[in-house]
Amino acid sequence: MAATALTIDGLEVSFGSVKAVNNVTMTIAEGELRVLLGANGAGKTTLMDLISGRTHSTSGHIHLYDTEITNWQEHRIARAGIGRKFQIPSVFRELTVRQNFEVASCRNPSVFANLGFGFSRHALARIEEVLAIVDLRDKADVTAAYLSHGQTQWLELGLLMLQDPKVILLDEPTAGMTAAETKKTANIINSMRGKHTLLVVEHDMAFVREIAERITVLHLGEVLAEGDIASIETNEAVRRAYLGSRSIS
Amino acid sequence: MASRQRYDFLLYGLFVAAILLAPLMLDEFWLNRIAKYLVFGMLGVAVALSWGYAGILNLGQGLFFGAGAYMLAMSLKLASPTSLQQGSDTPVPDFMLWNAEPGALTQLCCINKGSFIWLPFQSQWFGVAMGIVLPVVIATITGLIVFRNRISGVFVSIITLALVLLVRLLVIDAQPLTNGFNGLTDLAWLTIGAFQSDPYSRATYYLVAIALSLVLVGARLLVSTRAGLILQATRDDETRARYLGLDVPSYQIFFFVVSAAICGFAGMLYVMVSEFASPTFMDLSFSITMVVWAAVGGRSSILGACVGAILINMIEAKVSETKALVEVWKAVVGLIFVLVVLYLPRGLGGFAHDLLDRWRAPATEAASDEGLVAESRDALAERG
Ligand SMILES: Nc1ncnc2c1ncn2[C@@H]1O[C@H](COP(=O)(O)OP(=O)(O)OP(=O)(O)O)[C@@H](O)[C@H]1O
Ligand SMILES: [Mg+2]
Repeated sequence: MAATALTIDGLEVSFGSVKAVNNVTMTIAEGELRVLLGANGAGKTTLMDLISGRTHSTSGHIHLYDTEITNWQEHRIARAGIGRKFQIPSVFRELTVRQNFEVASCRNPSVFANLGFGFSRHALARIEEVLAIVDLRDKADVTAAYLSHGQTQWLELGLLMLQDPKVILLDEPTAGMTAAETKKTANIINSMRGKHTLLVVEHDMAFVREIAERITVLHLGEVLAEGDIASIETNEAVRRAYLGSRSIS
Repeated sequence: MASRQRYDFLLYGLFVAAILLAPLMLDEFWLNRIAKYLVFGMLGVAVALSWGYAGILNLGQGLFFGAGAYMLAMSLKLASPTSLQQGSDTPVPDFMLWNAEPGALTQLCCINKGSFIWLPFQSQWFGVAMGIVLPVVIATITGLIVFRNRISGVFVSIITLALVLLVRLLVIDAQPLTNGFNGLTDLAWLTIGAFQSDPYSRATYYLVAIALSLVLVGARLLVSTRAGLILQATRDDETRARYLGLDVPSYQIFFFVVSAAICGFAGMLYVMVSEFASPTFMDLSFSITMVVWAAVGGRSSILGACVGAILINMIEAKVSETKALVEVWKAVVGLIFVLVVLYLPRGLGGFAHDLLDRWRAPATEAASDEGLVAESRDALAERG
């Protein structure tokens, strides 16, 4: 059995009277790809905010392997080994694609360590590899602001690959994508599989079927169900809560 | 990309050659004037670094300029003949005597309550060192408070603006120590070995021109380091940078401090070529003027901002020889500023870059534009 990469234990946060995340407990094994399902407002983004340090929890613990990272500062959590893709794509818009990747491959976070020029041959080779994986090779010298929506999403995925964290959180990586783009994204994510532990929020069931092993369903901030795709699709509680009368199709 | 860099360095080379060759064509009067404008060009570099590259619009650069200027001016004041001839063992600035209480000891240590802080300035090198150290210390403290607390955008501008006005008031208020409104005048020349900073000499011009060249090239090299790239990344998206594990404030503070140090250095050079230091250096209007120079020249281009500052001042000097044009000129600069901000957000420097790119690669550019349009059209069709 693989080690546990991410342990979330009794995590809670409330905004005013709303408990956006309520007593959430889950563990994700090393190398696993876990999908997080839930209706709008279920608390999926908030859970990612808690894990990545954007929001501070009111109780509960988060462990990355054996290190407790609860309520650390964002850049320390990132350095400890958690990477994150945002629901609204977030890249360095005035830099070229290649420059974006160069920033992400800076291993040493300190300003003084980065007063030198250029990148190691190894880093440059890795950048080329990632350019190929996310299919942005011919856009390498294009300013990120001029990329299409889908390309921007892939650029952000590329940033994560170069950052090379142990655990990657992806918040709706296919939002607003065409069917073809979604397919390509599934391929990219499948290629990250095994190298990283992934936690993916996704609404698109076709996409979920494409990538999912294990699914956790959140509802009103609580874990409603957890299991493989077949058991979730036939789960009565999930049907009632998440899908309403609509069945999973 | 690489050829873009080569072009850049060619332009820098041309600029450096131009300012080093200028003395061949200019008389002493103009040489001194141009030296002042080169100092302003250095301020343009500082603004481009913090505004263009770090995205920090510092409206208080005058504070660092003033701090550098005052530190050197204090030393030069003590070295001036009038200060040395007050009949005491230590030099005493003339204005301190004019304001001294009856019966006060005519010594630098104790002529008034605070005059002892002038003591170390008897060494010229202390003044020179403090001209950099003081701006760096002020900028570090300000930067730590501002950036560690994630203050950003317009709030940084407001804080720096308030700071420069506060210090200006303090300097004016501390009349017995600073000569208040009148500032420090009647200064000695800086002496380095056989060199004396006679403001109308070629040697002084070369000192300024070489200093500017070094700062310019240094700043250009600095922004092409990995740290410079990361700095631009934090400008574009602080959150993204943070989630890549980068300690964003340390980059902001570092470049804020470098920019302040350049301003302090410029302040010292300005004292050499103009032979005075005054609270007007810390006027709000001066700090804003610097921003205008950089905006017109191109804040995203270090050379652009520098050239912008120099050209605007040269034109201004020419224009102000005709009285009627002086007011008109102010309006013209204002208008240019507005037009540039509206239509050329990257300034004339950025505009030149774009032209250069278009001229160098018209074919490929057009092709890739078309590709992009086609792609987004397809995407829309599929989504619809
Ligand atoms: N900063 C905040 N302040 C107040 N309420 C918040 C805040 N962030 C989230 N919430 C609330 O917490 C609940 C969970 O929101 P969250 O964004 O986590 O949902 P989600 O599952 O990501 O939804 P979606 O599918 O729409 O992205 C919502 O009711 C939301 O209004
Ligand atoms: Mg969400």
